[in-house]
Amino acid sequence: MAIINQATKELQVKIVYYGPAMGGKTTNLVQVHDHVQTAAGHKGKLVSLATSSDRTLFFDFLPIEAMSIKGFKTKFQLYTVPGQVIYNTTRQLVLRGVDGIVFVADSQYEKMAENVESLANLEENLKTLKLALASIPCVLQYNKRDLPNAAPVEYMDFLLNNRDLQVPAFTSTAHLCEGVFESLNMITRLLLHKFISQPAPQYA
Amino acid sequence: MASLPQLVEEDVLKLEEELRGLLAQSEATTALLIDTGGFLIGSSGDAGQFDLTTIAALAAGAFMANQTIAGLVSEPHFNSLYQQGEQFSLFVLAVDEQALLVVIFQAHLGVGLVKYYAQPAAMRISRQLQIAHARNPDASLDLSELNLADPRGLFRKKAG
Repeated sequence: MAIINQATKELQVKIVYYGPAMGGKTTNLVQVHDHVQTAAGHKGKLVSLATSSDRTLFFDFLPIEAMSIKGFKTKFQLYTVPGQVIYNTTRQLVLRGVDGIVFVADSQYEKMAENVESLANLEENLKTLKLALASIPCVLQYNKRDLPNAAPVEYMDFLLNNRDLQVPAFTSTAHLCEGVFESLNMITRLLLHKFISQPAPQYA
Repeated sequence: MASLPQLVEEDVLKLEEELRGLLAQSEATTALLIDTGGFLIGSSGDAGQFDLTTIAALAAGAFMANQTIAGLVSEPHFNSLYQQGEQFSLFVLAVDEQALLVVIFQAHLGVGLVKYYAQPAAMRISRQLQIAHARNPDASLDLSELNLADPRGLFRKKAG
């Protein structure tokens, strides 16, 4: 749940990168951390709670501050979740207080079942927090487009974005920083739209 | 999920006063009020010494993880966490369902004093949050200056 502090003119928003294991969630945060253009001191440290083999164990965390909006300091907190099936409780913890989701799907044909399973898992976990995917700003990112066995975008749309209300989808090659900022800017845009159309938001 | 209340100046001043009072009584170094999602709501003490934003995110994660472990061993009354260090120790206490009080103190001080003063401080903070909940003022964000048709201005990739 976003925190808007009228007294200190601060808006804090939590964005969670979700998706199957090895799909590129951490790579997204690394690329944002390495390439984001910010005023000095407005980019926090990228913190990774990872295993010795660099697999996310709990979460990655990157705080960044966007441009000031009408005098409000806008702080975005980016999180990833561990993708492996066994870490579901951890994913539920990281989802607490989520405001927006970037679902990072792996474009390789053989990963489609994992993509679908992970998206279903996201919906289940949101339900445990009394949230619905349809009510949370969400962006799809079809990652690893540089690989030769990448499935067509139309096929991925059919599998992952085939619902009443389609969400914005982007192709990406996260390790080359392609599609990373497009996804981030779209989710922030959707989030801010939500605040505007929700005149009395629930917040601190 | 219950939501945190909106904080107006009166709330922020009261919360800061409580955090300052806790530091004075317990001789702790820094006190943070955070929400369980990992956001920093307020702090008092030596802010320059620590990365409070990251500590808030990690303390919330650690607390929630330990609370989940407690639940798995049928322990329903988990409301605090103590991390003992050699230089600095850390004490996390649940204020209510949505907020946590984090106290960083020099390790030689011992956790007893911090616990003793943190408990009533957390209760007073909880009461202030209830007052803020009950007040429920209308409020909104004026984002009219932001061109939402073009979100590129928010986060830009560095050239080169």
